[in-house]
Amino acid sequence: MGNQMIKKANAFEILNHWLLAGSFLILTLSGFGFLFHLQQVVAIFGSANTMKIWHNYAGIVFSISLFLTIFNYLPVSLKFGSDDMGWIMKAGGYFAKKAAIPPQDVINAGQKLYYLFILFAGIAIAASGFFIWLRPQVDDIRKWILLSHLVHNIAFDLFMIAVPLHIYLGTLANPGTFRIMVYGTVPLEWAKKRHAKWVQKMGY
Amino acid sequence: MTNHWIDFKNADVILVMGANPAENHPISMKWIMKAREKGAKLIVVDPRFTRTAAKADIYAQMRSGTDIAFLGGMINYILKNNLYFREYVVNYTNATFLVTPDFKGPGEFNGVFSGYDEKTRKYDKKTWSIQMDDKGVPKKDPMLKDPNSVFQLLKKHYSRYTLDKVSSITGTPKEKLIEVYKTYASTGKPNRAGTELYAMGWTQHTVGTQNIRAMSIIQLLLGNMGMAGGGINALRGASNVQGSTDHGLLFHILPGYLPVPSAAVVDLKTYIEKFTPKTKDPKSVNWGGNRPKYITSYLKAIYGDKATKENDFGYSYLPKIDEGMNCSWLMLFDQMFKGKFEGFFVWGQNPACSSGNAGKVRKALSKLKWMVNVTLFDDETGSFWKGPDTDPKEIQTEVFQLPVTTIVEKEGSITNSGRLAQWRYRTIEPIGESKPDSEIMNELYFRIKRLYQKQGGKFPEPILNLTWDYGKKGADGKIKKLDIHSVAKEINGYYLEDLFDKKVTPPKQLGKKGDLCTNFVTLQADGTTSCGNWIYSGSYTQADGRVVNMMARRGKKDIGGLGLYPEWGWAWPLNRRIIYNRASVDLNGNPWDPKRAVIKWNPNKLDPKTKKTAPGWDGDVPDGPAPPLADEKAGKYPFIMRPDGMGAIFGPGLADGPFPEHYEPLECPLSENPMSKKQRINPTIKLFYTKEGGLPEDIFLSGDTRYPYVATTYRVTEHWQTGVLTRHEPWQMEMMPQQFVEISKELAAEKGIKNGDKVTVSSARGKVWAIAWVTDRFKPFKVMNTTVHQIGLPWCFGWQHPEDGSGGDSSNLLTPTIGDANTMIPESKAFMVNVERA
Amino acid sequence: MARKALLISPELCIGCRGCQTACKAWNQLPATKTANKGSAENPPDLTPNLYNKIRYVEMPSETNTVRWLFVSQRCMHCDDAGCIKICPAPGALFKTKEGATAFNKDNCIGCKLCVAACPFNVPRYDEKEKISKCNLCSDRIADGLAPACAKTCPTGAIRYGDRDEIIGKTQKAGYQKLYGQMDLGGLGVLYAFKDSPKIYGMDEHPQIPETVVFWHKVLKPLAYLGLGGAVAASLLHYIAIGPKKDEEVK
Ligand code: HEM
Ligand code: HEM
Ligand code: SF4
Ligand code: SF4
Ligand code: SF4
Ligand code: SF4
Repeated sequence: MGNQMIKKANAFEILNHWLLAGSFLILTLSGFGFLFHLQQVVAIFGSANTMKIWHNYAGIVFSISLFLTIFNYLPVSLKFGSDDMGWIMKAGGYFAKKAAIPPQDVINAGQKLYYLFILFAGIAIAASGFFIWLRPQVDDIRKWILLSHLVHNIAFDLFMIAVPLHIYLGTLANPGTFRIMVYGTVPLEWAKKRHAKWVQKMGY
Repeated sequence: MTNHWIDFKNADVILVMGANPAENHPISMKWIMKAREKGAKLIVVDPRFTRTAAKADIYAQMRSGTDIAFLGGMINYILKNNLYFREYVVNYTNATFLVTPDFKGPGEFNGVFSGYDEKTRKYDKKTWSIQMDDKGVPKKDPMLKDPNSVFQLLKKHYSRYTLDKVSSITGTPKEKLIEVYKTYASTGKPNRAGTELYAMGWTQHTVGTQNIRAMSIIQLLLGNMGMAGGGINALRGASNVQGSTDHGLLFHILPGYLPVPSAAVVDLKTYIEKFTPKTKDPKSVNWGGNRPKYITSYLKAIYGDKATKENDFGYSYLPKIDEGMNCSWLMLFDQMFKGKFEGFFVWGQNPACSSGNAGKVRKALSKLKWMVNVTLFDDETGSFWKGPDTDPKEIQTEVFQLPVTTIVEKEGSITNSGRLAQWRYRTIEPIGESKPDSEIMNELYFRIKRLYQKQGGKFPEPILNLTWDYGKKGADGKIKKLDIHSVAKEINGYYLEDLFDKKVTPPKQLGKKGDLCTNFVTLQADGTTSCGNWIYSGSYTQADGRVVNMMARRGKKDIGGLGLYPEWGWAWPLNRRIIYNRASVDLNGNPWDPKRAVIKWNPNKLDPKTKKTAPGWDGDVPDGPAPPLADEKAGKYPFIMRPDGMGAIFGPGLADGPFPEHYEPLECPLSENPMSKKQRINPTIKLFYTKEGGLPEDIFLSGDTRYPYVATTYRVTEHWQTGVLTRHEPWQMEMMPQQFVEISKELAAEKGIKNGDKVTVSSARGKVWAIAWVTDRFKPFKVMNTTVHQIGLPWCFGWQHPEDGSGGDSSNLLTPTIGDANTMIPESKAFMVNVERA
Repeated sequence: MARKALLISPELCIGCRGCQTACKAWNQLPATKTANKGSAENPPDLTPNLYNKIRYVEMPSETNTVRWLFVSQRCMHCDDAGCIKICPAPGALFKTKEGATAFNKDNCIGCKLCVAACPFNVPRYDEKEKISKCNLCSDRIADGLAPACAKTCPTGAIRYGDRDEIIGKTQKAGYQKLYGQMDLGGLGVLYAFKDSPKIYGMDEHPQIPETVVFWHKVLKPLAYLGLGGAVAASLLHYIAIGPKKDEEVK
């Protein structure tokens, strides 16, 4: 009984997550290469020109992937109830050795917020990125390019803060979570503790 | 030029009138700007606000073709306000001379000078002569008071050019006139110098020569001739125009400005008698008196051993023109149009675009049997048979095109406007089959010679006896590779015998047989020297046994900071950088302005060779070594090329009057000449089209409502002449791709024309399209109380290139067939047109 | 090596455009097919094959028929160069030892950000999208030659030399302050204007766009800081509080 597994993420979701994460990694790496003229990074890609190509096409992958996440996460993320507020009030219990957290859905309030952030910042960075790349013919292009450049970089900075935390939370901070993005399953007991509402909905 | 390019920097006032140096002679602006930096004033007088005008301290807008009115007003202003340089005028000009009392000016004679014959359209110049005393020396009034003195006549003539009158003719506001006059006349002081720069804006008028004469009078009155920063400076339209003119380009002069004889000048004796100026005044050098030496040495140069005393040095071989015959540009094409020519060599020019009334020229070419076009690129002339409105099937002319090299593919000398000959080298080998001009001539010569040898012909001697020692001859007697240095040496001249100065004992050897001549001072009239062009004698010399190409010198030493650079290249005559420089000093040989000393009499001049001192001149090469005028015995007048030794304020030599008089252009907006109602146009110009008739191609319409606007033509910096070179140069085309016309905002508004619109400009003779530049650079003129609009357009475009026709065509399709009374230079700077939206 | 500069004196410029052609000749830049649009100013703007041009300014004048100014324009070789600042590609834009803002097309990734950051709207891009602009004839000046445009200019309207010397000389000639003397860390192209720079079609106070400055000063370091901070926080949390154990979760 103790090792009954339930399915939390399907294959599509897992694949898409790694597409998102992988493209993001390439974008970040090349992004840093551009930002700080990192010769070692450029060397990985071969040249600045190929690095740009990687960056641009990784951007396409990232954007598509981001779009696909909508089906998995957007509806649930938008459902924000009193339990979610409770989770936030307690900061997910991360700053206490022991904390009573209201029951959470398939993803908790933090994850919901995280997703909304990813979606928002992702759209911003993608839109601005594509604008710089493709330079659509608009009046006063200089203004728009400068704005895009600004947005692209603000978003990047935010990503740089959010994503490491996400990775930490998805791995070390929450043992057992990482396997979701590998096998898609979690132990029922594990889920009951963390996603009680969801487990209930699933009929366990 | 009397002076030279660098000399502009020495001026206090620079008057640019009839020129546009910023656009057509950009490098000259270097020196003009240097002068300005030192406080000089730049005055630009032009119908159009040019790129030169943009740099001017004073800009005066003037209707095209009214320069003499403008300058006449200045003469009047100078005389009325006593601003002339009296000492200079009295001693160095013919202002003191007395003219025959019968002389009458246009003011008292229906707009013409005395002696006019309406039928022949010529003057009998009897009444224009100078009174001589019993010694044959001109009678003078040093007080300038005699009513028959040149000075008083000048005053009388120009008193008619009042400010109101001038303003009403030129359209220049009175205040502007005064500003210009005042500023320029300020150079009448000994310590100030003013220079004048002109180009085609003065020459291309029916009164072109008189435009320049008017300025010469001003320069003499103000004492600016011979001065550093003074003079009258013709900015030549091409880098070597000066050189080609020096070497006999024009129909009426042989190399060195020796006159071309007519058939009536039967032998050398007659030639010398007719063309050698004489003087009885012991103080006049009359350098022209040396003409016998120059013509004889010239004959020796071209006919060599075949020129002997017995055969009159081959004088009979020289081509002669018929008495009174004019073979200038307009006449050539007129004759061609009338079918008088079989063949035509077009060499380095594009008359189908450059000629006044180019439409007529294009038709004239079709009357030829053959034409050889020696050119860098095919052009409107070479391809005339497939030009606009031309059916190739109807053209019988056979056209040969000979590709010629560019300047960098050949070696030789170039003489710039400052008479400075500079040697240039070949930097790359000619491309393809192209050949330098000299090689093409060499080919031609040997082929023509062979034909004469084989077939005899009517008069083979002039060709068969020509010297042609310009390189090594092959077995067939032909020169394979022409050595341009041997041409330059022939021009300089050789001693054909040992030459001694027999005036001293023992006779001093001046030259060794076979050596290059030192200079023209040693040329002889007895056939013992040869010289292809006397003014260039001294350009390629032999000093201490060493042959020196003086033109190739590149020394950078200067004299007195004036920019004379006597060791850079070589200037004719005798490496003199400023001609008439004897007029830059007072009677004692001291410079009028010590800060600007061109030459200076030095009683103890050190000869660097002999280490002995003797009196002599310091500075530039003086106009003759004679001591200054104050020297009672040996002193000489400054203007050594004039028989009387004086600067000519009164100039009876010209066809159209001893004083310049304002006449309207052939086509003008007025019905009569405001100056003298009876005579609208220059009375002595050759009219191609009259009431009695003429070719329809030569039609002109003055004061006609169909063509109400004054037009002028010009060049732009971005293109060279007709653009044959620059239209093939994409970089230039990028900057100036298409024909344009500059129109005032006022006229544009009247005509509903907007900037950038395509418009049609038409005259009585043709039409062209152009892109309108609506601008403030043209402004309507107030002329005789009416508003006169003027427009302007460049003549650098042609239908043949760019091949898609996007450039447009030459504005010379609009210009009339009419020329200056003296030179026959076409009047393309003032004519009447209409402008309409296309 | 002393910083080099061009001194442009519109006072001396006659609008002959020898500079335009000389630049093309030296840099082997092909011509473009243009049309006459009612002005001598052609091509109307800088292009990847036109590194410099003359701006013709026609304006009314109180004392004269008209006023016609000629101003030579090109890359200003700013000391604090917006283009270099924003350029993401290492080695695409760089400063030479003479102070020129030079470029290397091989390294340029064609992102075209530089033109947006340039206060003078200078950089242009060739058919391969690579940057193309005046490089102060870096190849010539490295060999001690004057740039082609300065060499050609007949009137001295474009002069080349040590920047300090130029400033000293023009000050002696009566120009208190040259345009570009101070702006953007000092421009490598100085103008001796007799009038307000505006009249000559120039910005009174050229500036790198504020967003670029903000990005450079704040956002760029923040990327590192953010990343570092987030990682450090995670680490700290791990040590101080530690991961959530199953039993802790209620
Ligand atoms: C979504 C699609 C994205 C596109 C189309 C895109 C496009 C671009 C473009 C065109 C540039 C300019 C340099 C170049 O052309 O390579 C650029 C720069 C940069 N991008 Fe992206 N990017 C995207 C996403 C991202 C993401 C997700 C990140 C990081 C999280 C990122 C970070 C950066 C950084 C740091 C730079 C250099 C900063 C700068 O110089 O502006 N980009 N990106
Ligand atoms: C390589 C490092 C990463 C790891 C180890 C990781 C791990 C995980 C795990 C375990 C989950 C499932 C959590 C759950 O369902 O409860 C998850 C979800 C998610 N990840 Fe990541 N992830 C990584 C990188 C990224 C990146 C770079 C992004 C986007 C920029 C991203 C975006 C998301 C999103 C949107 C979700 C769904 C919402 C959520 O569950 O929080 N991940 N990740
Ligand atoms: S002018 Fe523009 S392109 Fe030139 S250095 Fe300055 S910022 Fe860069
Ligand atoms: S276009 Fe080239 S030079 Fe300009 S910012 Fe991008 S990489 Fe740098
Ligand atoms: S410095 Fe060189 S590259 Fe720059 S505009 Fe002048 S000639 Fe052209
Ligand atoms: S070459 Fe000199 S004078 Fe001519 S347009 Fe250029 S800057 Fe002006």
